[in-house]
Amino acid sequence: MLGFRLDPLTQKKLQRFKSIRRGYYSFILFVLLVLLSVFAELLVNSRALVVHYNGEWFFPTYGAVIPGKTFGLDYDYETNYRDLKKRWADDPDNFVILPPIPYNPYENDLRDGEYPPFPPSIEDRHYLGTDTTGRDVAARLVYGFRTAIFFSLILLFASYLIGVSIGAAMGYFGGLFDLLFQRIIEIWSNIPFLYVIMIISSIMIPNFAMLILIILFFGWIGMTWYMRTATYKEKAREYVMAARALGASNSRIIFLHILPNTVSIIVTFIPFSVANGIIALTSLDYLGFGLPPPTPSWGELLAQGSANLESIWIVASVVITMSVILVMVTFVGEAIREAFDPKKYTTYE
Amino acid sequence: MSLLEVKGLKMHFPVHGGLFYRRIATVHAVDGVDFEIEAGETLGLVGESGCGKSTVGRALLRLYDPTAGRVRFDGQNVADLDAHSLRSLRAEMQMIFQDPYESLNPRHTVGTILEEPYVIHGEKDAARRRDKVMKLLDRVGLPEDAYHKFPHEFSGGQRQRIGIARAISLRPRLIICDEPVSALDVSIQSQILNLLIELQQEMGLAYLFIAHDLAVVKHISDRIAVMYLGRIVEIADSRTLYANPLHPYTQALIASIPVPDPRRRKEFEALPGEVPSPLNPPPHCHFVDRCPYAQAICSQQTPELKPLAEEGDTRHRVACHFAGNLPPSG
Repeated sequence: MLGFRLDPLTQKKLQRFKSIRRGYYSFILFVLLVLLSVFAELLVNSRALVVHYNGEWFFPTYGAVIPGKTFGLDYDYETNYRDLKKRWADDPDNFVILPPIPYNPYENDLRDGEYPPFPPSIEDRHYLGTDTTGRDVAARLVYGFRTAIFFSLILLFASYLIGVSIGAAMGYFGGLFDLLFQRIIEIWSNIPFLYVIMIISSIMIPNFAMLILIILFFGWIGMTWYMRTATYKEKAREYVMAARALGASNSRIIFLHILPNTVSIIVTFIPFSVANGIIALTSLDYLGFGLPPPTPSWGELLAQGSANLESIWIVASVVITMSVILVMVTFVGEAIREAFDPKKYTTYE
Repeated sequence: MSLLEVKGLKMHFPVHGGLFYRRIATVHAVDGVDFEIEAGETLGLVGESGCGKSTVGRALLRLYDPTAGRVRFDGQNVADLDAHSLRSLRAEMQMIFQDPYESLNPRHTVGTILEEPYVIHGEKDAARRRDKVMKLLDRVGLPEDAYHKFPHEFSGGQRQRIGIARAISLRPRLIICDEPVSALDVSIQSQILNLLIELQQEMGLAYLFIAHDLAVVKHISDRIAVMYLGRIVEIADSRTLYANPLHPYTQALIASIPVPDPRRRKEFEALPGEVPSPLNPPPHCHFVDRCPYAQAICSQQTPELKPLAEEGDTRHRVACHFAGNLPPSG
């Protein structure tokens, strides 16, 4: 659209959001963490970032496995870059640059004569120690965060898509359709969600997509009530009447008139849904009904940690990380709620 | 043939409740209304709030589906139209809303709001749409840069100009003005009324001008219909209505118009009681509970809206058993 600009009410809300420092910085930090987690392979990985060998450059992070023989080693499986680095420690021509945490979340760092879990050690670059099978806790935390956040975001998008559509349709069309869905939702929301998950997981091991589908199956309900109410309210306003008087179609009214006016409600719920998604996945993993092992996950770390309390670094790392992330998300949520408070900036003006 | 003919229009709203969402009551918002509007004329529709006058306007445009009755616009029965013909009808019949704060979508720029009618009615060329909007803005007395602004950046009067621009954008023949000035400051009201009158002369518009205020209606209407609790109780040329009101309710309304002269303060008796609930109106004459002249017949027979035989003016119709036999109003 030519000369597009955000309407002043939205601008005001955004400004207000920015002025709530705690929420705004939490938001920036959180977005940064999510972006970083997308490129986690560059930060936490057993593969080196850069290898310089006999005048050639290698970037093993992404792409196919580079066998040890490429670098003059005597094996055909994937190069152990940590060993390579030690081997070339005094070599002036060849060098290896490792990521800050040179372990991937699946590998077991086993040693002769010692049994994991190993406590945190800067020297070994296990900054948060290892878990009971010798996997790096920091690596599993980072990749577990990535799984949880994308799980949560996909779940959020899908459940809002369904919840908002059905809620808006209920509010807009009203009548029998509304009545029918109200009863369906009431029945639906009384199905014990955890039992269903347990039953399904006892039959099959759910993968990422399955788990999203199962939670989505129950999770779309929450948004419908709010959308239904909001749509009812907007529908009765005169601008909708005016659009109808012009001959606007139902879809035009819903998508161009009503939805943009209910966006603030949807936005207000997003951070809390993100937090709920993370919690849901973590608790399922904790109970063992979540993603199949060895997928890195917070819930699994939590379970391990609470079973091995003498290795306090496991449970401490995951509890602290999780609390920090959830508190941050909550700060963002509170700031959005505050900034979008209709008592402060009503669209009626 | 009149531009718009309304016959026996009824609009009842069900009230649902209880376990099975049964119909437990009915709001008789409009309970049998007849009138007609000629091309280019203004019919004022007056009544207290809650008497169903806005509902009449909305039922005419089929924003509500009438319970009963016939609305003919230019010979077509509005109730029979399919979605496609309804859309073309809406190009000919438009509406101006009461509250200019509510009737403009706060998320859309004025440009978007005013282009919408053209988009809906098939103008695909964006540049032509923009051109038309610029002409509209100019016509209703708004600056060109309004195009990129949002409704909240305007005053009430300016917003109502936007509402008027939207209503005339498709060059309709009838505009239903639903209390277009009652939300505005008195100083702005006359500007908007004058704009409406100018547009009427220029475009040959007919208006159904809904208001609760007889003084405003007098300024703009050729004829006036007075509504009480879902029915028209009296309809006449505006001059006749003011000079010779026949229905006791009309008389009371006219008597209650304030006179801007402190020395001519007149004594008048306010109507006793409240407007009865449209959930359960009196079965025959709706005015019976508050009428100072009510007799037994008023609660036994429904008075028809008909011309007074002795007056010989078929344009002046009244629904009262005792019309013409009441003491003159003062």
